Amino acid sequence: MSVQQATLQSLKAGRRALWRQRLAENWRVFRGNLLGKIGLSLLVMFGLMAGLSYIPPLIDPMYHPMTGVDPLVVKSTGPSLTHWLGTDFMGRDILSQLLAGARVAFMVGVSAAFMSVVLGTAVGMTAGYLGKTTDTLLMRLADMIMVLPTLLVVLMLAALFGQLSIWMIVLMIALFRWPGVSRVIRAQTLSLKQRPFIDAARVAGASHTRIIFRHIMPNVLPLAFLYMTFRVTSAIVIEAGLAFLGFGDPGTVSWGMMLQWVWKTGHMFTAPYWLLPPGICISLITLSFYMLGRAMDEVLDPRLRDETQAG
Amino acid sequence: MALLKVENLSIGYRTAGGMLKAVDGVNLSLEEGRSLGLVGESGCGKTTIGMALMGLLPPNGSITGGRIVLDGVEISALDEEELRKVRWSQVAMIFQAAMNALNPVIRVSAQMTEAIRTHRPDMDEQAIMQRVEGLFNLVGLPLERLHDFPHQYSGGMKQRAIIAMALALNPKLIIADEPTTALDVIVQDQILKETKVLQEQFDIGIIFISHDISIVAEVCHDIGVMYAGQLVEAGPAQEVFFNSKHPYTRALVGSFPTLAGPKSKLTPIPGEPPNLIGAIPGCRFCDRCPKDTASCKLEPPKWQEINERHWVLCDHC
Amino acid sequence: MRKYIAKRLAQVVVILFFILTVLFVLFRLAPGDPVSRMVDPEMTPEDAQHLIEQLGLDEPIWKQYLIYLKNFASGEFGYSIHYGEPVARVIWDKLPNTILLFTTAVLLSAMVGISWGKIAAWKKGKGADIGMTIAALVTHTLFLPWLALLLVWVFAYQLDWFPITGMVSEEVFLDPDAGFWAKAVDVGYHMVLPLATLFLIHFGSYLLVMRSSMLETLKEDYIVLARAKGLSDRAIRNKHAAPNAWLPVVTSVGLSLAFSINGGALTETVFSWPGIGRELVFAVSQNDYPLAQASFLLIATVVLFSNVVVDVLYAFLDPRIRY
Ligand SMILES: Nc1ncnc2c1ncn2[C@@H]1O[C@H](COP(=O)(O)OP(=O)(O)O)[C@@H](O)[C@H]1O
Ligand SMILES: [Mg+2]
Repeated sequence: MSVQQATLQSLKAGRRALWRQRLAENWRVFRGNLLGKIGLSLLVMFGLMAGLSYIPPLIDPMYHPMTGVDPLVVKSTGPSLTHWLGTDFMGRDILSQLLAGARVAFMVGVSAAFMSVVLGTAVGMTAGYLGKTTDTLLMRLADMIMVLPTLLVVLMLAALFGQLSIWMIVLMIALFRWPGVSRVIRAQTLSLKQRPFIDAARVAGASHTRIIFRHIMPNVLPLAFLYMTFRVTSAIVIEAGLAFLGFGDPGTVSWGMMLQWVWKTGHMFTAPYWLLPPGICISLITLSFYMLGRAMDEVLDPRLRDETQAG
Repeated sequence: MALLKVENLSIGYRTAGGMLKAVDGVNLSLEEGRSLGLVGESGCGKTTIGMALMGLLPPNGSITGGRIVLDGVEISALDEEELRKVRWSQVAMIFQAAMNALNPVIRVSAQMTEAIRTHRPDMDEQAIMQRVEGLFNLVGLPLERLHDFPHQYSGGMKQRAIIAMALALNPKLIIADEPTTALDVIVQDQILKETKVLQEQFDIGIIFISHDISIVAEVCHDIGVMYAGQLVEAGPAQEVFFNSKHPYTRALVGSFPTLAGPKSKLTPIPGEPPNLIGAIPGCRFCDRCPKDTASCKLEPPKWQEINERHWVLCDHC
Repeated sequence: MRKYIAKRLAQVVVILFFILTVLFVLFRLAPGDPVSRMVDPEMTPEDAQHLIEQLGLDEPIWKQYLIYLKNFASGEFGYSIHYGEPVARVIWDKLPNTILLFTTAVLLSAMVGISWGKIAAWKKGKGADIGMTIAALVTHTLFLPWLALLLVWVFAYQLDWFPITGMVSEEVFLDPDAGFWAKAVDVGYHMVLPLATLFLIHFGSYLLVMRSSMLETLKEDYIVLARAKGLSDRAIRNKHAAPNAWLPVVTSVGLSLAFSINGGALTETVFSWPGIGRELVFAVSQNDYPLAQASFLLIATVVLFSNVVVDVLYAFLDPRIRY
């Protein structure tokens, strides 16, 4: 191995160690954050629910959240030994539906958030890095989309295209929730562009793509990641709202869907065992992603951290 | 009787890492109408002393020892309500970051009058307005800009407005914490000269805080040099500046060009001040000191008299 | 300032034009035949022919686009399939109901959120702060329609304090002797629960924004100067800190307007509040495309105009901004 290679290797190892150190440090701060801890534990619980959702249909097909019907039950019944949380109006098991709902919530939330963050990061970096007309155009577009009420926009798309499948809903949410992310990433990119190492890379002959992917992206990713937790929340809430209004994917059982059934079949005053669980779950999962986001905000922004230390 | 006496003052901040001793056993004394300069690198505790004099330490800071006596009144023993009465009417302050010391959403005139109105309920609006206009004339600000918002002022104008504000209630003591640091050199020079004239005209005591010893030497009667929370050298300005004893003072003198003189080469002081959390047994400067001896690290240094008014905290000067 | 408002209004027009164009294009791309989606199959052939001509559905596509724009500019939104009458007539009298609920909710929650956030920041770390912060965190992450159902269940169904749905009682509005105030009180009574729903969901986010903005403001040098001047805590908090801390809250109110109108539509639907949000939901469920399209545009217009109002308010509150 040549000396040069050796230095390069040790440099890389050093960088990796630095990363690990930073990660460990961030984790330490995060662990000291009460909100973050509560949020994370709740999310673990919801994760467990999602994982467990595969089990009930295996025990007995009547526990299938969508198609399983208890042949002995013809109307909504309260909690019992066979149905711990009771059944809905046609004898389907509410607990199984609730567990399936957790799976749908994660699926919708994480995939919509991921797509919108990828889109927002791409747009933000492009706008910030290229500047000029590209920047103006992209940001005008972002402004325009940002002021539109996403739930109603998706509703309008349902009016145009008819019933939307769950993946269409996810895609639509992603398509209309990126502007917030892109603005933040753009600002970050603009400030990165001023740093000497970008100039150095350019002088060294790096292409624009290389600069964007090698030098800018690693620096904006933590921020993008932070925004993802906030986007997860809004995606879950939008899907739930849509399902509640009766425009969800009829082939999936989401918590919003369960509330729509309670409400539309007129059980909201008589079946608290059916009304309460899905609402609590949507609210709690929102809260836990929100708390996680706030905690990460504090981890990533030392300014916020100092405040808690000094007091 | 001295206007201000600071006796053996110690101030600590509670931090996540433990108690941070920002000020440790400082003694100061100031006669009426005289000016004292406090100099030292950033972080040595100058602002902390200034804030303590106004009873304005942040929530995690507190006086852990010693006392502050202003005009016969022990400031360090007053409660919040009594302090509020002393503030601005007895001690006024000109801030370090003058650029941000004016509230951006309130007109300058209103910011000036509210100080008077708070402390002088007996004065009617007309008298207050007259007073404010008089002050504006005094510091050389055009009257037609009185009702502007702060962002319409230049940096120098903002600083003048704050000086006018500080003079509003004829305080006996003004604390000027790096009043000109954010200004460009020419404005800085003008403001310093005018401040000095005003101070002499109204016989106000001034504590002038700066990290630049050459400025302080020009405007102040006396100088106290601070290092890591302690006073390390004190005496008449000319004496401390031209006949510095403490190696730290010498380094400070060497590291700044004088305002008037030719720009000499700056020699920054190598090394960093010690961490103020936890106990420091010996001399605090010894790590950076050219005269460092074995005993310096172990024994705290003692005050040495150079002459009747010039003292230094060093065993080897 | 006047120029700035004019400029912002022009922007609103441009955005509306953009939305109209996108809707036009999507509508042509959508499955199904445009004529059958726009024209009620139960109309008499003459009426249908008349409507097709009015909407320009038999013209070449570029001309259809121009007619479409012209119709919207002149407030002709087409013919509702469900109601069998002009869309304009259906939605115009729904607009004030939505504006009433929406603006009251936004103003109320912003005002309460701001004043409580101010106090929470001032008492940082104390019981009042912790209590308010937790309350804010929890309420503003509640799922809105669920909260609405809970409120109805408890306060309308169980306790019977408020009506379950609707905006007016027939006895009052059909009574020829009922004066303006009797009617206003009746509407107010019906509005309590929908308003409470929107308020509970929204005040928390304003409270949290105000709290953190106020905490930032309290670190500023001008606050230290205000203290040094010997001002009372009250003066420091209300005169020096709060007016600066408002600014980010105003921005956040602007950014959350779209979110608020989503909530508005959900609330209207649950409470059968006769507003445009509910009309949009209804239209989509009935496949009444002309009605849906018009409701959506009207809602977008409301949001865009509220945004202008918020921006103007910001400029008014911050003397550093002069247009
Ligand atoms: N609110 C605070 N909390 C904790 N430490 C502080 C606080 N304010 C100042 N300090 C520390 O006290 C020391 C003195 O600070 P300061 O008085 O601002 O110094 P100077 O004005 O000389 O630059 C520094 O080490 C600083 O880090
Ligand atoms: Mg300082």
